[in-house]
Amino acid sequence: MTSSRQRWAITLVAAVLGLLVVAQLRAQGANPGLSNLSAQELTLVIANVNTRNEQLRAEVAALDRQLTSLTEAQSRGESALGQLRSDLAALEAWAGLTAVVGPGVSIRISGEIGGEGIEDLLNELRNAGAEAIAVEGVRVVPGTVVYGAPGELSVENTPLPDGFEIRAIGSPQILTGTLTRSGGVIAQLGATYPDATISVTPLDSVSIPATDRDLVPSDAQPSL
Amino acid sequence: MTAVVDRLRTLPSWQVTLTGALFVLGFLIAAQLAAEGPRVRYTSQERAPLIETALQLEQQRDTLQARILELRARIVELEGQEPGSVALVSELNAALEQARIAGGLVQLAGPGIVFRLEDAENPAGASDALVTARDLRTLVQELWLAGAEAVSINGERVTTGTAVLDIGNAILANSAYLTPPYQVNAIGPPELYDRLTSSASFVEFVRARIEPYGLRLSFAELDSVTVPAYAGAIRTRYARPEPSASPRP
Repeated sequence: MTSSRQRWAITLVAAVLGLLVVAQLRAQGANPGLSNLSAQELTLVIANVNTRNEQLRAEVAALDRQLTSLTEAQSRGESALGQLRSDLAALEAWAGLTAVVGPGVSIRISGEIGGEGIEDLLNELRNAGAEAIAVEGVRVVPGTVVYGAPGELSVENTPLPDGFEIRAIGSPQILTGTLTRSGGVIAQLGATYPDATISVTPLDSVSIPATDRDLVPSDAQPSL
Repeated sequence: MTAVVDRLRTLPSWQVTLTGALFVLGFLIAAQLAAEGPRVRYTSQERAPLIETALQLEQQRDTLQARILELRARIVELEGQEPGSVALVSELNAALEQARIAGGLVQLAGPGIVFRLEDAENPAGASDALVTARDLRTLVQELWLAGAEAVSINGERVTTGTAVLDIGNAILANSAYLTPPYQVNAIGPPELYDRLTSSASFVEFVRARIEPYGLRLSFAELDSVTVPAYAGAIRTRYARPEPSASPRP
């Protein structure tokens, strides 16, 4: 009798122990980040991922159409050169290899401001969905950095004059609203660089040139 | 003392086992409660469904990204089999391949540096002791200036449209939620590291931002660093090719 009760006690303890070990391991493993966020931050993550998922869905749909028309053209023995050309044009426009035009904003910057401040502004433009950006006529692509101390800014080894222009293509309302909202990037830059003046003008048509950079790497190789 | 030892010796072994097990049990219950502690504070009605939604959306994103990579691979394959004028087709395909590489739609490998950037060991609530989006942007900018050809942050390729934003104690890059430690992979010329470490602005970044706050920055120079392909959207909604741009063959 006693021995049976002892066994039950040990079994019970072992069972609870096992459950707790599993619970503990799960708690450690479950995405460490999200559970540390506040409701407001979670809403921001959701909004961001949701917007991106919509873009990804549109991309999947476009790629599906592209694939279907390629397959159909080939099964009919026809050429899909026209499509290859339009894919190429879209890709080159996005990558910065060709000049683009569209609605957007012009941002004029004068006074003393540092390179990090301009980079913060460019980051916020990308966040607001800018599709192409140029700083004083230089297309911003991977590798393009605006750097230097206030009064000594440069981009692609070209000094920027006082009173230079940043152009961006995207929704003029969203770009303007994101940059100029209270507590937004321009307000923050105003606090850090009180002598700088930044003005944003929405435009129906903005032209942005192609990059002069060679974007095809020489040290890196395509890999699978 | 000997009395205690004698008493212990007379104990049946199952009691010793049970005591040991109970000790572990107590420890685990305490650990579990401690782990639940901060979360209980947050488990208001609104947060649980938000986390659930965020996780679902992230899952959808992963599926969509995988689908995009798969579709792109099939399109590349079909374009390679395109009939018609051989010279023209191969010229177009070569241009497409170059544009895909230039845009970051192709995974690259080459010599480079892998960085690891982490919060201070004991941040103790000081926000300056946490890695911010700006720290990562600064590191990436310094790498570009030093001649890097391709860069990724925790597997997210830095492309022409990549924004890096703060969110809580983590960051969003390409709208992907990334948590520390951050791994920045960069491919570049053999002198990438020397150029980086001799750059006055990089030295200033380490002196003014990394060292005083105890942020942990480590790196390894490797013969082969992989920078993954961008698995996002490239369709532009507002920008269209400039009509005056020279037409393709």
